[in-house]
Amino acid sequence: MGKVIVITSGKGGVGKSTSVANVGTALAMLGKSVVVVDADIGLRNLDIIMGLESRVVYNSMDVIDGSCELEKALVTDRRVENLKLLAASQRNNKTDVQPEQMKDVCLKLRETHDYVLVDSPAGIEQGFENASSAAEAALIVTTPDVSAVRDADRIIGLLQAKEVYDLQLIINRFAPNMVKKGDMLNQYDVLDVLSIKLVGIVPEDPSIVGSSNRGLPLVYDATSEAAGAYKRIARRLDGQNVPVPEFKAIGWFSNMFGKLFG
Amino acid sequence: MLQRLIRFLRREEPSSKIASSRLKLILVQDRLGVNEEVMKDLQQEITQVLSRYFTLDKNQVEIDLQREDQAMALVANIPIRGMKGRG
Repeated sequence: MGKVIVITSGKGGVGKSTSVANVGTALAMLGKSVVVVDADIGLRNLDIIMGLESRVVYNSMDVIDGSCELEKALVTDRRVENLKLLAASQRNNKTDVQPEQMKDVCLKLRETHDYVLVDSPAGIEQGFENASSAAEAALIVTTPDVSAVRDADRIIGLLQAKEVYDLQLIINRFAPNMVKKGDMLNQYDVLDVLSIKLVGIVPEDPSIVGSSNRGLPLVYDATSEAAGAYKRIARRLDGQNVPVPEFKAIGWFSNMFGKLFG
Repeated sequence: MLQRLIRFLRREEPSSKIASSRLKLILVQDRLGVNEEVMKDLQQEITQVLSRYFTLDKNQVEIDLQREDQAMALVANIPIRGMKGRG
């Protein structure tokens, strides 16, 4: 039997869907069977980030209202073995689904997959309730800024109130140059207040935009630093002991050199 | 580069430090569901009670709400100079 993990944040736009797509793909690359579930009903985007939007026929709403078998609604990613997507409905909204119904779907998926990654919408209302209904564990995504960390703290409190204690943090959009100059919170500042286990730091990476444009998750790009970070997160989730590398702040000379010859 | 020099000369505090202190204060208030005034009152009253028993530096008293494994703990750091004589 597998594990249901909700990926949530409180704050919008910090990289939940991107993290689900990349961590999900990376886990599949490690040989695990993964299904990623878009719980952002009414505002779906996991299908876009995964580049599977043209193959979505049925969604979780169809499964819940009985018009489609669960297996039939899953879109198989053809680029890597054992990776599937359960898309969200674009027509309904969060109040059309009850937490119990989402929970049923996730628990069913858990029977046949190693990992069920649920992409939670932003917020703390019903969307979050639906997404976290079956969660045994959570990945909290935050960026190193006051607003995002505050929201992450609230989400952590809500998850603990639901007795979900397996909580791990992803710090996304980490910019080593800014951290070095004192213009950005560093990982210790963030961990000091959130006090949960760190599962990875993903550096700011301009290639993210391109990967979303192409519908090709970043982990397929061997040169991207963020891709490397996501792959390490997948390995840590899977129980491997992988140290967090030191992200080097780029000095003036290397930066200019890169700009001239990059 | 020039900006860094100017910041150094002005002894400007790095914004990340400011962010860190603000965050800590905001989270204590969020977690307790109280505002800054109540926090101040709480700190004053705790200091008052303790200064009946100990000599302490009132400016150094720190109150924080921290997250531990499965619960929250009100953590106070109170540097103490000595016991006060009773009677």
